[in-house]
Amino acid sequence: MAYVTTATHAPSSPANPTLNRPNMVSVGTVVWLSSELMFFAGLFAMYFTLRSTAPEMWATESAHLNVPYALANTLILVSSSFTCQFGVFAAERLQPRRTGGVFNIARWGMVEWFLLTFLLGAIFVSVQAYEYAHLVSDGVSLSSNSYGSAFYITTGFHGLHVIGGLIAFLLIIGRAYAAKKFGHFEATSAIVTSYYWHFVDVVWVALFIIIYFLK
Amino acid sequence: MKVETYIFGLGIFFFLPASIVYGFMTGWAEWVGIVGLLLITGLCAMIGFYLGFTGRRVGARPEDRMDGEIHEGAGEQGHFSPWSWWPLALGMGAAMGFLGLAVGWWIVYIGSGFTVIALIGWVYEYSRGSHAH
Repeated sequence: MAYVTTATHAPSSPANPTLNRPNMVSVGTVVWLSSELMFFAGLFAMYFTLRSTAPEMWATESAHLNVPYALANTLILVSSSFTCQFGVFAAERLQPRRTGGVFNIARWGMVEWFLLTFLLGAIFVSVQAYEYAHLVSDGVSLSSNSYGSAFYITTGFHGLHVIGGLIAFLLIIGRAYAAKKFGHFEATSAIVTSYYWHFVDVVWVALFIIIYFLK
Repeated sequence: MKVETYIFGLGIFFFLPASIVYGFMTGWAEWVGIVGLLLITGLCAMIGFYLGFTGRRVGARPEDRMDGEIHEGAGEQGHFSPWSWWPLALGMGAAMGFLGLAVGWWIVYIGSGFTVIALIGWVYEYSRGSHAH
């Protein structure tokens, strides 16, 4: 009798609590991020194709890279993923703002954690801009040779993604301030922004290993 | 959500061995294909693991059960905008920006202004006015 419909179902009672459904925004974001992974796959393909055609150019040009400097920058970006995740934990307990002092980190809300994440992300972009300026003064530019093109297009598109994430953080922080009652609508957008941020972070780690270590 | 998890997750078991086989057959010298195949493995893993993880968290949906009924799926599906002008405004702002790239740089500034207004309008549409909450 398991497959037989009963006639006693009361249509006025809520048939299904909404919590039982996967969040479509989150699932959609992950599917979109997987397509972003393919975008970066195209950039990696470009990088390795150009490298295979001119290995000696890669050896001479990659000597201009400042690896310890980029490693410090990488650590900044990776740490921003952790602060972002603490912001998500705050958003999941529906706490937009701090309940204690500014330096009482344990009581920070989503806004404080996301502002710190924004700061770390902004430092990453600034340091990268500084690094670009150094490389250009060393003669490595977008139009200098295929190494320059590959380097700036891969790291540059990643940098644009970071800037997009920074804008997203500002918009999410603004939503937290606009809401009189911080609810699941705000929390969902905060969570999917963190997915994006973690994704961009992981892509950078891969880029860093390929460009700065494997060369 | 087992079906969805398998549809995407099973790709891992094809693309990961494929990338290793490809690596051996090219003598680990052709990195475009190796990395490309590994990233497709990543695509399958990302969606597969997320759907599997979500499926474990939300439990069986009506469509996952043999005795599920259509009416059990009723109720709120998510937050959907019934209508909005902002996507059109954002699309026009972006189109104007790209027109500027092709025609003349001065149009880009106007386009980016429209884009900023439309983006903020879209993001905050359900946080202000009669939708303020």
